[in-house]
Amino acid sequence: MNKGLISGLVLLGMGLVCGILLSVVNYFTAPRIKEVEDAIKYEALGEFYDLSDFDISEVNGTGDFGTIFILKDKGSDDIQAIVYTVRAQGYSDSGKVEMLIAVNSDLSVEDYKVVSHSETTGFGADIVDNDFNVDSINDLTSFDSVSGVTKTSNAIKTCFNLISQRIAADLGGGLSE
Amino acid sequence: MNKKDNFVKGIIKENPLFVSLLGMCPSLAVTTSLENAIGMTMGVFFVLVLSNLIISLIMNSGKLAELVKPVRIPVYIVVIATLVTIVEMVMHAFLPSLYFSLGVFIPLIVVNCIILGRAEAFASENKPVDSLIDGAGMALGYGVAIMLISIFREFLGKGTLTIWGDLQLNLTFLFDFLKIEPIAMFVQPVGAFLTFGLILAAITAIANNHKNKIAKEVKNNG
Repeated sequence: MNKGLISGLVLLGMGLVCGILLSVVNYFTAPRIKEVEDAIKYEALGEFYDLSDFDISEVNGTGDFGTIFILKDKGSDDIQAIVYTVRAQGYSDSGKVEMLIAVNSDLSVEDYKVVSHSETTGFGADIVDNDFNVDSINDLTSFDSVSGVTKTSNAIKTCFNLISQRIAADLGGGLSE
Repeated sequence: MNKKDNFVKGIIKENPLFVSLLGMCPSLAVTTSLENAIGMTMGVFFVLVLSNLIISLIMNSGKLAELVKPVRIPVYIVVIATLVTIVEMVMHAFLPSLYFSLGVFIPLIVVNCIILGRAEAFASENKPVDSLIDGAGMALGYGVAIMLISIFREFLGKGTLTIWGDLQLNLTFLFDFLKIEPIAMFVQPVGAFLTFGLILAAITAIANNHKNKIAKEVKNNG
């Protein structure tokens, strides 16, 4: 058989072995990673609202949306706030910027937090804990970008825009639990 | 070369950062705190030791080595990328704060010249045990270098030394004693280059001094 073909098959075999090894490691680490990410999200939710005041339900989002948390007054069916997990592409190709954005029923933005990103330390990573000056989800005219990190700032703006496109429908009962 | 020399050469004589000037980009980027440097060292140690061992085992395996030779660089990359991905997943799961702090520089270990360089220059031509020792020495040499840079940068830039998590030495009293503030520039990228340059100059001066001493002794004896 052609020597080059055999070398190619050896490389393919190595790729398969490495793939199997990675899937085994992923099997053990994935649940723990999910726990870590959920803990970060609930910690952030606790910073936004006093969670003891609300009944909280979760909906799995699609596309760029992750878990969506619906907050209702205890014993009531009225939605008081929705907290979105939303992602957008920043500067790094390694991963998207993921945010939690809390929007009240009057469309005011309660708070927001970057929960994960792969942006460069000292540059794009400066978005964490930055104040982007957004008070209402339907008005991003006052949005403040971080100087020198345009692409990452645009990712944050995209996150707000994605929510503004669907918030009215979601508050009107568009989210099925 | 005996095993001890093989191990020690990576730390001093052939230090990958201060002598070979390899893998500088992530080294300068993550050295804003000692904790980051320790975390990066752990990741690089795991990858370098295991990649050297695995590649040496493959390249010393007779017939398999002959088949791998034409595609050895892609094979090295597959091995290194797998190990780095394992580090990334384990760090994300069990050391999340470090994972978020190191950010994109964890996956970038794949393209770190030190790792691919040792695979091609040493592991592919030496026995597995020697390759493992070489990897450990080089990784420790890299670790010592980035920890040294991070100690200077964090101390001068923030007045603290973060060893791990909440274990932090607050040395701001030294700044209070001198009636000055920590110099924030040292935790910025410019501070990384400045610190690296100054350490490199000091090492070169010490090395030159040592060389001159030896030359003088040889002259006096001869």
